[in-house]
Amino acid sequence: MSTSRDDFGIAIRSALLQRGAKQKFSLFVLILVSIFIFALDNANLKPINFLRSLINDGIYRISAISSSPIKFSGATKDFFVKQVFVYKENERLKFELDQLKKNNLNSLYLKTENDTLQNVLKLKKDSPYTLVNAKVILDKGSPYLNSVIINKGSNSGIKLGMPVLNQGFLAGRIVEVNFTSSRILLLNDLNSRIPVVVSPNGFQAILSGVGKKEPTLQYLPENFELSDKENLIFTSGKDGVLFPGIAVGQVVVGENEVSAKLFSDPDQIFFVSVALDQAKDEVAR
Amino acid sequence: MAVIFRNFKENILRLGPLILLVYICISEVHTQFYYWEIFSFNLQFIIIYYWILRDPSILGYGFIFLCGLFNDVILSLPLATSAMSYLFVSLVAAYVRNATVRSSLFTDWFTFVVAILIGNFIYFFLINNFSDANIKYDGIFYNSLFTFILYPAFWGLFELYKKLIFVRANA
Repeated sequence: MSTSRDDFGIAIRSALLQRGAKQKFSLFVLILVSIFIFALDNANLKPINFLRSLINDGIYRISAISSSPIKFSGATKDFFVKQVFVYKENERLKFELDQLKKNNLNSLYLKTENDTLQNVLKLKKDSPYTLVNAKVILDKGSPYLNSVIINKGSNSGIKLGMPVLNQGFLAGRIVEVNFTSSRILLLNDLNSRIPVVVSPNGFQAILSGVGKKEPTLQYLPENFELSDKENLIFTSGKDGVLFPGIAVGQVVVGENEVSAKLFSDPDQIFFVSVALDQAKDEVAR
Repeated sequence: MAVIFRNFKENILRLGPLILLVYICISEVHTQFYYWEIFSFNLQFIIIYYWILRDPSILGYGFIFLCGLFNDVILSLPLATSAMSYLFVSLVAAYVRNATVRSSLFTDWFTFVVAILIGNFIYFFLINNFSDANIKYDGIFYNSLFTFILYPAFWGLFELYKKLIFVRANA
């Protein structure tokens, strides 16, 4: 019994301390260094956060560059797939072109009418938010965090918690800010909780990510009923961080839960806009 | 000149596993491959465990530590979480190497369970206690299961690669 315990002790001590011919550090030393770095990172000290920001920026850039061959191969594959289906696509496009030509006359009339009405109302076509446009540079899946990294950071005025829009719809919020890069926590992430309001009935709820494509609506009132009209979800702004009234998605009623079909597809985010501020102009809002 | 070129080729071959590990940690390659909702596996664990067990001269502990740090930055985990997890997987591999006289696929495969359990326990412990992130337990379970199931396939591939290095070195 004691011999086997001795054997275990010798083997584990040897594994921890032995460096061998090619190993420059022993496992024991590296584990100690890891614990030290982990403690420093958790201490949340200003100089450490500053250093981590610098490291993050550097590694994100290197990562974006090293990922470019994968992106290129993906684009090449798409190109060849498109070439294979070009004949079918041509037929479909011809048909669509005919349809569009027919619709065009109708659209022209509607556009003219719309322009006239807007002029009458003096409606400004500006976005209701002060936006910073950014490109997604890194999108790496993880079992712990469903997030993407963009190429704008605190140097563009981005701060923690700011809402991120994709084609005008809420895509997520900022959870990490570096000097030239930021991380967006997507709405379908397990850690995402957004206070929302369901229109037109005005029910309040929390949109919670569950790790799947469609987040769920939690804490709906017991008397919750769907309206006959479109049941749209908007941010309520109750947390005091996100601006109210940003379109999020549409209510989908499942067997056991009420979920949301997001307007901004989490798998199709390439360019985003970070809402820095709400416009002061009341008309624009 | 021919000797230099031959040495260069040999060195590149020997660096192959390290290059692969660094690349999957730092690039956008989805190392936690997510397909069909549940299918995913941890390629880093497989690479580290195999090479530390079978040929530790190929993969240095220092590089494994650095790869862990890169991975933490990319995945926004507390710094050194992955590094510690990878180092403990290395520790299990180094222990098995010291404790066994003659290893085979089956001994490697079944001791790999211990490495996966310890590696994931380190993740759980550090993230649960020192981070606000929620963990998707079923996702981690499937990830561990498929990592275990796929180990023999990668074992075969890496054995071939090891033979290639050996043949080149002795040619």
